Amino acid sequence: MEREVLFRIRRFDGEKEYWQDFRFTARKGMTVLEGLYFIKESLDGSLAFRASCRMGVCGSCAVKVNGKPRLACETQIFDVGDVLEIEPLDNMPVLKDLVVDMDGFFRKHEAVKPYLIRKDDDYKNPKELLQTPKELHAYYDFSLCIKCGACYSACPASATRSDYLGPAAITAAYRFCMDSRDEGKEERLGLVSGSDGVWRCHFNAECSEVCPKSVEPAKAMQKMRLMSAIHMIKSIFR
Amino acid sequence: MSMEVIKHDIVIIGAGLAGLRAAIAAAEKSREVSIALISKTYPIRCHSVCAEGGTAAVLREDEGDSFDLHAWDTIKGADFLADQDAVEFFVREIPKEILRLDNWGCPWSRREDGRIAQRAFGGQSFNRTVFAADRTGFHEVHTLYERSLMYPNIVRYDEYFVTNLFIEDNAVKGVSAIQLKTGDLVFFNAKAVILATGGAGRLYGFTTYSHQVTGDGLAIAYRAGVPLKDMEFVQFHPTGLIPSGILMTEACRGEGGYLRNRDGERFMARYAPERMELAPRDVVARAMWTEIIEGRGFEGPYGPYIALDLTHLGEEKIEERLPLIRDAARKFAGIDPVEEPIPVKPVAHYTMGGVHTNMWTETPVRGLYAAGEVAAVSIHGANRLGSNSTAECLVFGRVAGEKAVEYVTGKSFAEITKEEMLAEEKRLFDEILGKSGDENPYEIKKELNETMDKHFWIFKTGEEMKEGVKKIQELKRKYENIEIVDKKKGFNTDLMQAMEIGFMLDLAEVVAVGAYTRTESRGAHYRLDYPKRDDENWLKHTLAYYTPEGPKLDYIPVTITRWQPVERKY
Amino acid sequence: MEMRRVSGWFTLKGKSINSIAYSFHRLTGMVLLLYLIAHLSFLTSLRIGEETYTAFISTTVRPETLPLDSLLFLATFYHAFNGLRVVLNEFGLLYEVRKALIYVMTLLALIFWLYSTYMMYVFVTGW
Repeated sequence: MEREVLFRIRRFDGEKEYWQDFRFTARKGMTVLEGLYFIKESLDGSLAFRASCRMGVCGSCAVKVNGKPRLACETQIFDVGDVLEIEPLDNMPVLKDLVVDMDGFFRKHEAVKPYLIRKDDDYKNPKELLQTPKELHAYYDFSLCIKCGACYSACPASATRSDYLGPAAITAAYRFCMDSRDEGKEERLGLVSGSDGVWRCHFNAECSEVCPKSVEPAKAMQKMRLMSAIHMIKSIFR
Repeated sequence: MSMEVIKHDIVIIGAGLAGLRAAIAAAEKSREVSIALISKTYPIRCHSVCAEGGTAAVLREDEGDSFDLHAWDTIKGADFLADQDAVEFFVREIPKEILRLDNWGCPWSRREDGRIAQRAFGGQSFNRTVFAADRTGFHEVHTLYERSLMYPNIVRYDEYFVTNLFIEDNAVKGVSAIQLKTGDLVFFNAKAVILATGGAGRLYGFTTYSHQVTGDGLAIAYRAGVPLKDMEFVQFHPTGLIPSGILMTEACRGEGGYLRNRDGERFMARYAPERMELAPRDVVARAMWTEIIEGRGFEGPYGPYIALDLTHLGEEKIEERLPLIRDAARKFAGIDPVEEPIPVKPVAHYTMGGVHTNMWTETPVRGLYAAGEVAAVSIHGANRLGSNSTAECLVFGRVAGEKAVEYVTGKSFAEITKEEMLAEEKRLFDEILGKSGDENPYEIKKELNETMDKHFWIFKTGEEMKEGVKKIQELKRKYENIEIVDKKKGFNTDLMQAMEIGFMLDLAEVVAVGAYTRTESRGAHYRLDYPKRDDENWLKHTLAYYTPEGPKLDYIPVTITRWQPVERKY
Repeated sequence: MEMRRVSGWFTLKGKSINSIAYSFHRLTGMVLLLYLIAHLSFLTSLRIGEETYTAFISTTVRPETLPLDSLLFLATFYHAFNGLRVVLNEFGLLYEVRKALIYVMTLLALIFWLYSTYMMYVFVTGW
């Protein structure tokens, strides 16, 4: 099955911003990413967007489609409709067309120490740590974050505060705090309890709505708040 | 035009599994050396995240596995073209890597008692594939990336597109790169360079590879005079989802899935009665293609296909062990594998060949190392076993990182000269960006993909390949006359992709000429006009050297230590 | 830190029911803030004299201003119940039923609002 569709793309060439329309014939099963490639390869080679794995694991191709942040590779054109308004993600500076600057986003992720912290860390002589399937499931779903930035784009707290760590970073912190092998929980809680941390969240929960991997950042955030509250009370008496 | 020169002791190109592992190894070996990790995407956007099934490692010698068994599986799987000293070293080193990842937070799937679980895989005669559901590569990359954040001497350069390699007196001295965000040309002056840029997958149209895998590192090294080894061996994975080519992991069959033809028959019984669906990939891919050619495939809107049947595994097992497969099949083919079989056919998947290195990842150029898919160490020979590639990245990434530190200690920088810088600037911004011919580079890519899919697919003949080589050369001429539409600097993906297509054309020629010249069938390289393996004449590695007229071929012997070639049966 | 995109609070295109609830919360919050300022100004008028205050009050307790009072109560109840919901959710409670909770709380707010409007109507009209 084929029919004509309209891609309305918000473009930016480094100086000016404008909307451009592209009409072409799409076939059933064609994804938004394939549509973007078709435009780039056949209609306008200057169109810039990020893409890599085209199977929803690399996190490159998140864009706003009709207002909602989604992975272009996972979104079928016909599921959206005949007119698709495609824009870069919000809350990050636009570099060109659909490409936003994610450096700040990644720096925030780095800021929460998103790695396993263990006192007995021994590079030369690693040993097998035990973790039951139950312990694994306590954090596993939160380890599926692909850092596509969809949650960060949808978050109204990130919209008003550029220093706010945002849903993805705090979810990463939560994922490691819940790992039975980890010993860095207190350290990490100190990092997310500040004025740029968990208390900036207003539970709009849009992050969980738009997450393409169903990671539920809003849930991680709220669990993290509870942990953070306990951590803060404890630190008063220390 | 600003011309920035950045100095680092070690420059690593590519931040996938091998590149990240090399960076960590170097940083662990010395806190003093400065390490640049350059990649054209953010590290976690690399293609390694697409690895699904697992990583092979001998963890349970008490349960009957052994290093010799893993080595033998690998060598037999390689159709005896693997260097056996490298394989022996490799199998002994992986278990530690698995445990390191465990200690760094990788969410390995577990047994009930909390120990690391392992699953069956094609060509592996023991259940030795360690896995994290069916997202093994994804979790490995994220674990390494997160771990790499701990080392202050690893400096990342995300979204820098490397354009050239500078070599003087057969020693490497740096690379040039375009910072995508600004479009500026940047020079990295280095004592050692590690290539970790992955394979040449996008040569083919029907492929499991990510869009970004365009063989940049291979082509840059090749053009700089470094030989490429065994490039004619391209692996076809049996199960690519139709129509996108998205990988349906071998773990589908490792967990008990069946391949069926139109008559519902498990046809592998006729091709590999012992191993059935879990024979090595070359064997299964050829069997499937034979079924399709002989008319026993299913008919679908995108041509004939084979059914990958998981329905008998049950929803619970599929959800636990193959969640990504279920998700992908639903999203990209509209099929729930719990309910109905998945339509698949063989798909271009892996580049066994690569930059020529010895088992210590050293290339013929001093200070230049290669690790991961970009390198041919060679442990995969003519056909790689499933779950050995992520293992290779971990083991040889580590070796490259450590070797590079040893090499740079006490060495001084050799400067990139002003002339070299100006020449590179002119080449990129005047000659390439300035191209305003009348050929669309993306059309050339499409034609290249079609040529490779048609002339260099699973079954090859000399005649078809000869025609293919001609077509590739024709496309190379066309490429001289391309147009780059986008003339702006910042984030110019038009320029970047046009250059990638140039890289791919060179690599395609190496693959094509190598395959045409090798008059035998071995592993993944199968010729209908020479259907037998010919150890007398062809038990040797191909080396391809760049010349402006096309690749010049040379051959070197295979290292055989304990295992003599025998007939390969499964 | 900079106050960037307050408009993000009220952008609803492509958003879910969560964002609608959120936007209303911000909106009613602003209404209540304005009311609070007005209310405090009223109370301050007591310092001028009781007559001024009574005169002010008598201009507001009239059938004509009833719709405004009613709207104020709507804002108050919505903000109160929705706030309660957010407090519950933010302590990690009832996360799984967060959408149902929006409907429940909005319904409660509407019931309280209708009842309060009825009471005010009776009071003002003396009916």
